[in-house]
Amino acid sequence: MPRIPHTSPQTLLLFSALLDEPQRWRYGYDLSKETALASGTLYPILMRLAEQKLLKTAWEPSDEPGRPPRHLYRLTADGAALAGQRLEAKAAKPRTIGPAIQARTA
Amino acid sequence: MNVEQAVRDSAVRRIAYSILAGAVRGRRERGGDWGEAVLAEFAETTGDAEAVRWAAGGLRTVWRERRARRRELPRIVRIRRRAVLVVLIGLLAGLVVNRFVLTVGRVWSGSMETSYLIGDRYVVDLAAFRLTGVHRGDVVEFTMPGTDRLVIKRVIGLPGDTVECRDGRVRLNGAPLDEAYLSPDPDLSHTADCAATTVPPHRLYLLGDHRIVSEDSRTYGPVDEHALRGRILLRF
Repeated sequence: MPRIPHTSPQTLLLFSALLDEPQRWRYGYDLSKETALASGTLYPILMRLAEQKLLKTAWEPSDEPGRPPRHLYRLTADGAALAGQRLEAKAAKPRTIGPAIQARTA
Repeated sequence: MNVEQAVRDSAVRRIAYSILAGAVRGRRERGGDWGEAVLAEFAETTGDAEAVRWAAGGLRTVWRERRARRRELPRIVRIRRRAVLVVLIGLLAGLVVNRFVLTVGRVWSGSMETSYLIGDRYVVDLAAFRLTGVHRGDVVEFTMPGTDRLVIKRVIGLPGDTVECRDGRVRLNGAPLDEAYLSPDPDLSHTADCAATTVPPHRLYLLGDHRIVSEDSRTYGPVDEHALRGRILLRF
């Protein structure tokens, strides 16, 4: 059976963090803190979502000299719809995800 | 917080940052978007441990980004790159094997006739014999004492053995040795008398199969095991 995309516990964690305030631009570091995902897990997911046009990215202009511009993320309309759908599907079938993840996403 | 400030505070953080920056940018001014994104967030991390974890995840991100970019290359370019890589790795592996595991050699003298003729090539095991040890009757390659020439001879006596030549034959520990590898022609195989020698520890008594012309342990005594380079596996 082919795997349904965007259903891994890590992706769902990220979806729920992004859906908290769907309109706000988010920093990678803050998302990493919120989801407790390491940068090496978080960024590849962000890359995949952006590539599939589920995530919008932007560069925040630097306000201080010597500081590089930071990358910002926000779900697109498609992304938000998909995220909501995936999180609902998970809520309907909670057994497919480990209890530890449930506790973290709760 | 400024990047320079954030990075200045500890050596660990500085190293983590420069490794990540090196991976993201290499020699370019600016790396890929995602690598730069991770790099720009580095200043947000607090403490050494978090900085190192962030940088480590950044390396994985850079790797993923590179892989994604590689997939967009034309098929022919990818195949060519892969082919070059395979050839390079193969060459490198071949050099390592040739240097440390197996190599080939060539016979330059008639001292092992008629088992090995001048011009014969052979395969030498450079490593395994150190584990299995050498046995009587093995042919080994070694540096001839007092020279830097690699030669091959046959192992006659191991440490503790007493070797003597009498009546045209070799006697090992008092008993005549049955040497099936020798030429039936006595012009080659007749072994001139030699004094009884007991082989000291870590040395080998080595003789060439051509007993008339061979210069071997009868001349320079038992050979130190450190002079050994390998054991001959086969002739071709």
